[in-house]
Amino acid sequence: MKRSNKLFGITAIFDSPNEIIHAAKAISNSGFKNFDINTPYPLHGMDKAMKLKPSKLGYITLAFGLSGAAFTLLFIYWAMSIDYPQVIGGKPFFAFPAFIPVTFEVTVLLATLSTVIGLLTFLFGFPNNKQSLHDTDYMKKVSADKFGAVIYADDTLFNELKVKEFLSSLNANSIESIFEFEKESYPIFQSKFLMLLLAVAVITSGGTYFALNKLLLMTPFNWMAYQDKLTAQEKSEFFQDNFGARPKVEGTVARGFLPYPFAGQVTPIETLSNPLLPTKEVLQLGGKKYNAFCSPCHGNYADGDSRLNGQFPNPPTLHSKRAREFSDGMLYHIITNGQNVMPSYASQVTHEERWAIVNYIRALQRAKNAADSDVKKIQMGLLNASK
Amino acid sequence: MLQNNSEYQKKNLPKRLSQLGWFLFGAGLFLGVIGFFTDQHRAILNYLMAYMFILSIGIGSLLLVALEYVGGADWSVPIRRVVEFLSSIIIFLPILVLPLVFSIHDIFHWAHKDVVSADQILKGKSSYLNETFFIIRVFAVLAIWGIFYFLMIRNSNAQDKSYDQTLTKRNIILSAIFIPFFAVTITITAVDWLMSLEPHWFSTIFGVYFFSSSVVASLAAITLFVVILKEKGFMHPKLIDDHLFSLGALQFAFINFWAYIAFSQYLLVWYANLPEENFWFIHRWQNGWQYLSILLIITHFIVPYAALLSQPSKMDPERLKFISVWILFAHFIDLYWLIMPNVEGYYFSWIDIVVPLIAVGVIILVFNYRAKKSNLVPIGDPKLQKGLDFRVP
Amino acid sequence: MNIDYSQELRVVEGALKQSQIEELVAKPLETRPDKKFFIALTISGSLLLFGAACVALTFYYGIGLWGNNQPVGWGFGIVNFVFWVGIGHAGTLISAILFLLRQRWRTGIARFAEAMTIFAVMCAGIFPIIHTGRPWLAGYLMPYPNQHGLWVNFTSPLIWDVFAVSTYFTVSFVFWFVGLIPDFATLRDRTTSKIKKTIYSIFSLGWRHSHRNWQHYEKAYILLAGFATPLVLSVHTIVSFDFAVAIIPGWHATIFPPYFVAGAIFSGFAMVVTVLIFVRKIFNLEHIITINHLEKMNKVILATGMMVGYAYSMEFFIAWYSGNQFESFVFINRAFGPYAWAYWIMVSCNVIFPQFFWFKKIRRSIPIMLAIVIFVNIGMWFERFVIVVSSLHRDFLPSSWGYFTPTLFDIGILVGSFGLFFTLVILFTKTLPVVSISEVKAVAEGAQPSHNGGHH
Repeated sequence: MKRSNKLFGITAIFDSPNEIIHAAKAISNSGFKNFDINTPYPLHGMDKAMKLKPSKLGYITLAFGLSGAAFTLLFIYWAMSIDYPQVIGGKPFFAFPAFIPVTFEVTVLLATLSTVIGLLTFLFGFPNNKQSLHDTDYMKKVSADKFGAVIYADDTLFNELKVKEFLSSLNANSIESIFEFEKESYPIFQSKFLMLLLAVAVITSGGTYFALNKLLLMTPFNWMAYQDKLTAQEKSEFFQDNFGARPKVEGTVARGFLPYPFAGQVTPIETLSNPLLPTKEVLQLGGKKYNAFCSPCHGNYADGDSRLNGQFPNPPTLHSKRAREFSDGMLYHIITNGQNVMPSYASQVTHEERWAIVNYIRALQRAKNAADSDVKKIQMGLLNASK
Repeated sequence: MLQNNSEYQKKNLPKRLSQLGWFLFGAGLFLGVIGFFTDQHRAILNYLMAYMFILSIGIGSLLLVALEYVGGADWSVPIRRVVEFLSSIIIFLPILVLPLVFSIHDIFHWAHKDVVSADQILKGKSSYLNETFFIIRVFAVLAIWGIFYFLMIRNSNAQDKSYDQTLTKRNIILSAIFIPFFAVTITITAVDWLMSLEPHWFSTIFGVYFFSSSVVASLAAITLFVVILKEKGFMHPKLIDDHLFSLGALQFAFINFWAYIAFSQYLLVWYANLPEENFWFIHRWQNGWQYLSILLIITHFIVPYAALLSQPSKMDPERLKFISVWILFAHFIDLYWLIMPNVEGYYFSWIDIVVPLIAVGVIILVFNYRAKKSNLVPIGDPKLQKGLDFRVP
Repeated sequence: MNIDYSQELRVVEGALKQSQIEELVAKPLETRPDKKFFIALTISGSLLLFGAACVALTFYYGIGLWGNNQPVGWGFGIVNFVFWVGIGHAGTLISAILFLLRQRWRTGIARFAEAMTIFAVMCAGIFPIIHTGRPWLAGYLMPYPNQHGLWVNFTSPLIWDVFAVSTYFTVSFVFWFVGLIPDFATLRDRTTSKIKKTIYSIFSLGWRHSHRNWQHYEKAYILLAGFATPLVLSVHTIVSFDFAVAIIPGWHATIFPPYFVAGAIFSGFAMVVTVLIFVRKIFNLEHIITINHLEKMNKVILATGMMVGYAYSMEFFIAWYSGNQFESFVFINRAFGPYAWAYWIMVSCNVIFPQFFWFKKIRRSIPIMLAIVIFVNIGMWFERFVIVVSSLHRDFLPSSWGYFTPTLFDIGILVGSFGLFFTLVILFTKTLPVVSISEVKAVAEGAQPSHNGGHH
C-alpha cells in the first residue's frame, strides 16, 4: 500500500518494560492526549502510567446479560404457559425451576457475544488492516519483543521537532516518522462483487428449494413416509383378494356392545331386570336418548303422534294397555332386538342408555295414567313452591 | 532466608472484645436455660443450630488453611492466622457437643426404639442410626479434626520462631491428607446431625450442600475479622485493600456454588416428584415455611450476588463488612431452614435469639483466647513477603 | 529436593527470551510437515474414515444397525456424547478457571487445552444428531414459529442439552479466537509469505498491540473467563440432568451435577496430559510445557479422581440408607451382575490407579503418568457406560430385563470419533500456534516491570 505525505505520528522503540513504563508516565505527564503505547503483551501498571480511565466494557455485558435473561424467561413463559400450555410430567404450566437452565444458558451466550462484538466492533473498530501503523518496522518490532510509544500528529501539543527531541530524551532507540496510507476507494457496485452476491443468492435459494422440496422426498429420506406396513384402505399383495381391509373375524365384538343372548326371539325366554333406578340423572339421560331415537316414530310423549302417524308403518302409542303391561325387560328386549317392523336399536344406544330409556318411558306412562295420589302430590308440591 | 519481619508488632486485643464475648455467651446461655424449661424441644433444636453454626465455621476454616497450603496461595498468608484462630473452635467442640449427646433421644425420631420397631424402613437403617454408633461417630469425627488441627497449627506456630521451610512442606503434606478426611467427616456430620432429623429422607448431595454452607460462613467470619482487625491496626501494617479482594472474590464464588448445589438438589427432587423424597421440600413450602424458603433464597443468594458482583465491591472494606455480617445472618437462616421445620408449625420464638448470642459469643471467645497465645501474622512463613506484595492485577 | 517457598516458581524454564519463545512456537507453522506428521495423520484419518462410513450406513439403514434394544434404549450414543463433552471441560477450566485463580502456569497449556475443548465438543455434538432416527430433521430441535403452534419442550433436559452444548461451543470458540488475535498479529508481522500474510491479517482483524486496546482486551478476557466458568459447570450439570431427573434407580441421585462436573474435569485433564506429553516432545516445547505443568495437572487429576470416588461411595451409602430395594439392587447388580467386568474396570481405573499420584516421583515420571492417564480415560468412558447401561438393563420389572451388546457400528463410530479428534489436533499443530505466544511472553522472566522500581 502506498503512503501519502501526511504525517501520522512519531514512533519510538524501547528495550525493557521499566523503560516503557517510565516513558508512558513521561508522555502522559507532559500533557499529550493522543498517544499510544504498543507492547507484544499487556504490561502491569501501564493503565496507571497512561492515566487510562477504567474500561466500560462491563456495562455492555451487564446490559445484554440481564436483557438476555429477561427475554428468555418471558419467551419461555409465553410459549409454555400461554401459547400452548401442556401438562408435562404433572408439572404446572409455569414450571419455573425447569425454565432456569435454558434461561441461564441464553444469558451467558448473549453476555459473552455482546462482550466480544462490543469489544471488536465498537471499542476497537475492527476489522481495520489499514491503520497507518501496519506494515512498518515499528509494528514488526513491537509484535516480537520490543516496546513502543507513538505520539499522533493530531495532538494539540504536537510539534515534529519537539516531539523527536522529547522522545530521544527518554532514551528511545529508533525514532521514526510514520506517514498515512493513501486513501483507497471502494466502489461497492463493482461487477465482480455483484456477481458474487447473485451467485450466493441463487445457490442459497436453489439449495434450500432442492433440500426441502425434492431431497426430503427421495430415498432414504422418505422411508418413513412410505412404510411397509398396511395403512387404511391400501391394496395388499399378501391377501388373495388384494384387499387390505379385511372383514371382522368371527366372534368379534365392538367395545361396549356385548352379544345379546336373546337376539332373534320374538318373546325372550327370559327377560332381564332393570338395573337402573329412576333417578334424576337416569331420567335425564333416558329423556335425551328417547328424544333422539324414539320420538321420531313414537312421538315426543310416546303417544304415537309423530309425523309417521297414519302412514305405513304406523308406530303405536306406548300408553296402550299392552305397552303398560310389558315388563321393563320386555321393553329392553324390543329396543335391543326390534319388533315387527321396528329395527334393532342395539347399535345406536348402549346398554345403559337403553335401560335409561326404559325408565323414561315408564315415567311417561305414569304421567299419562297417573293415580289420584300422584295428582294430589303434585298439587301439594306446586302449592308449597308458590309460598 | 527471611529475617524477623519486625514490621509486625504483636498487640493484645482489647479487653472489650472478650467482655463482649462473655456477655453474649452468658446472655445466650441464660436465655437458653430459661428456654429449656419453657419449651424443651425447641430449645434443644436451637442449641443444635448454634452448635452447627459454630462447627461449620470451625471446620470450614481448617479446610481453608489446608487449601492454602495445597493450592500454594500467596495472598492469604498474611491473614492465615485469623483463619487458624477460627479453626481452633474444633478443640472446643467435644465440650460444646455434650448437651446434644445427652439429648439424642429428644432430637431424633430414630432414637425411639418403639418408633423404629414399628417402621420397616427405620429398622433397615438402624445399624447406622442407633445411639451407640452415632456417639462413636460424633467423637471419632471430632478426634480426627482435632488431630489434624493440632498437627498443622503446631507447625505453623513453630515456624514463627524457627523460620524453617520444611514446616511448610510438612503442612502441605498434612493438608493434602486432611482434605479427603474432611470430605468424609463433614458428610458424616451433615448426615448424622441434619439429614437424620428426618430419617425417612435422603439426598446424595447433602454432604456437599453442608460443605458449601460451611465454607460460605467461614469466609464471611474470616473476612469480618480481617477487615475489623485491619481497621484497628492489629494486622500487618502492609496489608491493604488489595488483599481483601480475594476474600471478596471467594465469597462471591462460594455463594454461587452454594446456590448451584441448593438448586440442583431442589430441581432434581422437584422434577422426579417421588413421594419418598419430595415431602421434605413440600413440608418447607407449607404452613408458613414458604416465607422462610423465599427469605433464604433472597438473603443467601440474590443480595450477596448483587452486592459482590462488581470488581471494586470485592475489595471495599465497608461493603465487605456489611456483606459478611449479612451472610452470617443468611447462614443462620439456612440452618434454621434445615432444622426447625421438624418443629410443628412455623413461628419465630424469643428462644431463637439464643442461637446467634451463643454462637457469636463462643466464636469471639475462642478467637480472643487464641490471639493471646499466637501472633496475628505468621511472621516465619517463607511466603509472607510474596503475600504482602500481592496486588490485584 | 528442597523448594524455597519464598521465591516465585519459574513458569518458563531455560531462561528463554521473548524472541526464543516466539521462534519455538512459530516454527511448526513455518516449516513443511515431515513424514511423521503424515504417518500420524494417515492413522487418525483412517480411523475417521472408518467411523464416517459407519455413520453413513447408520444414516441410510437406521438405528437398527446399533445395539440399542429394549430395555437399553440409550447405548453408545449417549455414552460417547457425555464422554466427549466431559473431555472438553478441561480446556475451559484451564483457560478460564485457572485464569480467575491467577495461576500463571496455565499460560503454556491454555491455547492447546482450549483447542482440545472445541474439538471435543465438535465430536460430542455429532452424537445427539446421529442417534436420532431422521438426523436430517435435526433443525426441529430449535424453537421456531410453525403452523402447528408447537414449541420445543423447554422443560426437557434434552432441550437444555441443545442450548447448553451450543452455547458452550460458541463461547469456547469465541474465547479461543479472542486469545488468538494477538498471536495472529505476531504471525502476520513475522511471516514472509504473501498468502499467509493476507490470511493472518484477516484473522487478526487489524490488531496492533495498542495498550489502549490491551486494556479493553484484558477486561474482555476476564469477563469471558468469568462467564465461561459458570458455563462449563452448567453444561456438564445439564448433561447430568439428562439422567438425574429420571426416576430410574442408579440415575436419580441429587449428587449427579457436581459428580459429573468433577468427572468431566478428571477425564479432560487426563486427555490433556496424554496429548501434551507427545506435543511437547515433538515440537521441542519442553521449556514452555514443563514437568511442573504436568505435575500440577496430575495433582488436579488426583483431586478430581477422589471427588469421583467420593460420589461413588455416597451413592452406594445412600442406596443402602434409603431402604429402597430397587436402588440397593442396582448397586449390587453393578458390582456382581452381568456388567461387573465394566464396573470393576471403572473402579480400578478411576479410583485405584490415580492414587499413585500421591507420590511425587510418579507425578513427575512421564512413562508412568502416561499409563495412568490413559487408564483414567478408559475408566471414565466405562463410568458413563456403567451408568447408562447397567441402570437401564435391569430396572423395576424383572420381566423387562435384558442385555446390551454393542455392534460393529457402535464401536466403529466410537473409534471414528477418536479419529476425528486426533485428526483435528494434528492439523491444529501445523496451522495455528499451539501455545499462546503473547501470554507466555508475559510470564517469562523479566517480562513485567518491577514494582515501584524496587529490587529484591
